[in-house]
Amino acid sequence: MAETAPDAVSGPEGASEAPLPSVSPILPCVLGWLLPGLGHLYLGKKGRAVAFFFVVFFAFGFGLASGGTASLIDPQQPLSYLATFDNLALGPLDVVARMSSVGSLVYRLPPDEGDPRRQALMTHLRERVRHPTYEYGNTFLLTAGLMNLLLLLDAFDIAMGRKR
Amino acid sequence: MIRSHFLNLALFSILVAIFFAFLTQNRGRDRVRVILVLGGSMIVLSLIVAYVMYPFPLQR
Repeated sequence: MAETAPDAVSGPEGASEAPLPSVSPILPCVLGWLLPGLGHLYLGKKGRAVAFFFVVFFAFGFGLASGGTASLIDPQQPLSYLATFDNLALGPLDVVARMSSVGSLVYRLPPDEGDPRRQALMTHLRERVRHPTYEYGNTFLLTAGLMNLLLLLDAFDIAMGRKR
Repeated sequence: MIRSHFLNLALFSILVAIFFAFLTQNRGRDRVRVILVLGGSMIVLSLIVAYVMYPFPLQR
């Protein structure tokens, strides 16, 4: 753990919480990216860390179990860039989602329509779309990514002393 | 998996409400209030929007 600063701000869960460590604001963000809530735990926000971990993890797991699929970049669909970036915000969990939903660690659809890899991926994705709760799963999966993205920004603000 | 629209909506609303309650509030009582108000609002407003959409289907 990092050294404690003398003018540290007390945490949000009460005055008894450990003072804010003086750390690089990047470290909690990296930790939070590796595992949801870990950045907040590092900053001493235990209550928040546990809540965030369970909320993001549940949204992720439920989304995947409901047929949600990791997004792939398709140059013909500009929004796919945002969706893929959103998935990447989940860190290693995105690898799990990609391996279980797409079947391989691929982030981009091959642009050539005749490419057999593209056809294989499209066939796999169409099978996922047939899942009755596919849309729900995608929504939960994307929401988990967005929540973790907000958590990274929140951890950054706490580390910078902008927020308690 | 849950196939009910309403149960998925309720689960999603509660999850998001819990997330924002912990993100924006510091005290337990305030968090419970946010969960109830935000979660309830999302469910009720979604039902209202769904009801308003009923006379305007995408396909005739």
